[in-house]
Amino acid sequence: MPRERIQSNELGQYLDPPSGVLFGSNAVRLGAVQWIVAAVILTTIYMGLPRVWQWIEPLEITPDHRIPYSLSEDYWLYERYAKTVLKNRDIIPVVGDSVIWGQYVRPGETLSHALNKQTGKTEFANLGVNGSHPVALSGLITYYGAAIADRKIILQYNPLWMSSKRRDLQITKATTFNHPQLVPQFYPRIPCYDATVSDRLSIAIARDFTFLSWTAHLRRTYFDNQSLASWAIENPYANPLGALTLRLPQPEDSAPSDPIPWAEKDARSQSFDWVAPENSLQWAFFKRSLSTLQSRGNRVFVILGPFNEHMLTDESRAIFADIHADMDAWLVQSHVDHLAPAVLPSGLYADASHPIAEGYVALATFLLESDSFRTFLDR
Amino acid sequence: MLFHTWTFLIFFSIVYPVFLVVRNTRLRTPWLFLASYVFYGWWNPFYLLLIGYASAVDFVAVAFMERSQRKGLWLAVSIVNNIGILAFFKYGDFLVENLNAGLAAFHVGYAVNILDVTLPVGISFHVFQSLSYIIDYYGGKIEREKNLLRYMTFVSFFPQLVAGPIERARHLLPQLQGESRITSRNVTDGISLFVVGLFKKIVLADFLALYVDKVYADPTEFDAAALALATFAFAWQIYFDFSGYTDMARGIGSVMGFQLVLNFRNPYLATDLGDFWSRWHISLSSWFRDYVYVPLGGNRGGALQLYRNIFLTMIISGLWHGAAWNFVIWGALHAIGRMLTRELERTTFYRERVPRLLKQVFVFSFVTFAWIFFRATSVEHAWTIVTRIATASWTADPGFPLVALGLVASIWAYQFVYESPARKVLELAPVRIACVVGMMLCVALFASSGEQAFIYFQF
Repeated sequence: MPRERIQSNELGQYLDPPSGVLFGSNAVRLGAVQWIVAAVILTTIYMGLPRVWQWIEPLEITPDHRIPYSLSEDYWLYERYAKTVLKNRDIIPVVGDSVIWGQYVRPGETLSHALNKQTGKTEFANLGVNGSHPVALSGLITYYGAAIADRKIILQYNPLWMSSKRRDLQITKATTFNHPQLVPQFYPRIPCYDATVSDRLSIAIARDFTFLSWTAHLRRTYFDNQSLASWAIENPYANPLGALTLRLPQPEDSAPSDPIPWAEKDARSQSFDWVAPENSLQWAFFKRSLSTLQSRGNRVFVILGPFNEHMLTDESRAIFADIHADMDAWLVQSHVDHLAPAVLPSGLYADASHPIAEGYVALATFLLESDSFRTFLDR
Repeated sequence: MLFHTWTFLIFFSIVYPVFLVVRNTRLRTPWLFLASYVFYGWWNPFYLLLIGYASAVDFVAVAFMERSQRKGLWLAVSIVNNIGILAFFKYGDFLVENLNAGLAAFHVGYAVNILDVTLPVGISFHVFQSLSYIIDYYGGKIEREKNLLRYMTFVSFFPQLVAGPIERARHLLPQLQGESRITSRNVTDGISLFVVGLFKKIVLADFLALYVDKVYADPTEFDAAALALATFAFAWQIYFDFSGYTDMARGIGSVMGFQLVLNFRNPYLATDLGDFWSRWHISLSSWFRDYVYVPLGGNRGGALQLYRNIFLTMIISGLWHGAAWNFVIWGALHAIGRMLTRELERTTFYRERVPRLLKQVFVFSFVTFAWIFFRATSVEHAWTIVTRIATASWTADPGFPLVALGLVASIWAYQFVYESPARKVLELAPVRIACVVGMMLCVALFASSGEQAFIYFQF
């Protein structure tokens, strides 16, 4: 026996690397045809399972339905909800941030509810998403809002998102903000967004890969918003299949925040560091949303506000008036139906932009009394 | 840049088509070199200076060796340079800490400042790869590579640069020199290996890591059962992590027409410690065999000399894995285990009467015990775990996820079947396709946004 062979055995090596290369994945080795078969099966599962799931998991649309607060980032569910609720061609979706969703009110006290009540019809659906600033809303409409196409839509713009560079996502220091999965991952660049390239790519790819959005839905709905592995660590003896109860959380019949008028909480006047529309990322993305909707055949009615001017200092209010005038002018110039609601009485605001229940009633009344809104509805 | 990230997918989707176009032109080497340096520089561009320097020195040393009568001098220059790089970046702080401890023991009122140097990713791998080239050239086993760029590509070849397998010049360089041939089998094999690696990393290793990290972070908070299970989980975590990486590396190499050496072969089915090291990190253990164990004398001489050589080789192997005393103990334990199982195998009773399964369980248990010293952050940390396993209560609920246990048991059972006469069942096409589909589904279900680096990058 050669010397090296004996020595190899002593230390245990059986393979001299250059002498041959073994495959080494046990039997998991497919040929070309087998790979095609596997790819067909996988594609069928990846594409079919999320569709089949919609049949298995009941989605009950309650009157004044809104996406449950805990599922605000479940975009697969949002898409499904929009598709289901907008099957009726006469329904007008009301899209916007937490002002539309109703941060300080119960589901039966939102703007869409007030509009339905005052018109006597079930015509308006709450498609607001908590925390969806205009940059995120643009992503929501683009990637998950296909069902909204080709119909009337009410789109809300909340000027609060321009009230500081931070809210406008323009500070250079990395910061957390709502719905990072919906913002552009590469271009245009969001200065305060510092995700790794890999994370950005993951998000960008997941938008076009429904299976991944669906698995995210499962995580959010059934696994406490954790990965399957993390959930199993916290629930070591639980059966993950058993966790799939097929019972979607229903919208909570309560307001996430106490509906206390702002003046009763902190009545100090504030001065905001406004970002002008021409420099604003949020306003730019709002315009992008408008453009997307128009290209999809939507007739859009924009609600510019509401905004609680009572809480502004005189100086800040003057700047806001200029900004408001600029935005209004742009909408007029662009032939976009719109309305800036009159400032509500101070006691009807819970904070800088969210009304309390009576505020929504007043807002709905204001809208329904305006010629432009009625014309939009009648057309 | 990690293999299991979208960043790598984008990187490879640029590199690969261009490679297919240039693979049989003069641009092949420059392109592979560029791709490898971009891949490595993605972590930190400064690393490129180090790997470039180390490669250039070895290239020049061999060039001088070819022309010089004093070949040993140039070999020494290269070895000193390579070991010096490792000593500075990897062992500097370890040496300083021990020096300071020694000074303090003799009441010397002086302490050397800790260097606090960042350890470049995969430094031990590319240094060993480069060393093997110069030693093999010195031993007359290979020809000199005359193209500097090709040599630098050999050292930095991106599929196996940061965590192996450690390639030998006589295996990889000819593949970089010769005509590139990529068959459909290369591509399908490569994808198969990559999928297996992806499954091992994302579904198994990262899952087990959650439990291991939690328990090892503060062992005093956990009872014996949890510590024992965490150690069991780590044994599998490191196997899935490391072998998963090399599967992916070999898969990427394969689709590019390069055959990288096998690095793992179901190590937890080993029946003795020698067998274990013929199945675990094969490219490293064969490196130590050829460049440490054999030069030390191998099995020439008596049993005492043999055991001395095994002991020294395993201690050095331990130190290769990490600059700390717990790695030295880990190496020593393996040396003891190797000697013990060797002696047992020499007895007829053990060799012929003890069931194979029992030997496998014994070896697995021993290896798993040794992993405590590998995973622990220090000797004290390891000792805390060992003593708590031995003395703490076994009745407390360990909270080990049954899903993870089920997955590990399935893989283990699969490997047992694979190495049994029933292997034919696993080779049936529907079974193989079902395995791939199952793995890919698990990958999609287990994938989360956070990415975990591979354990062996730190070496």
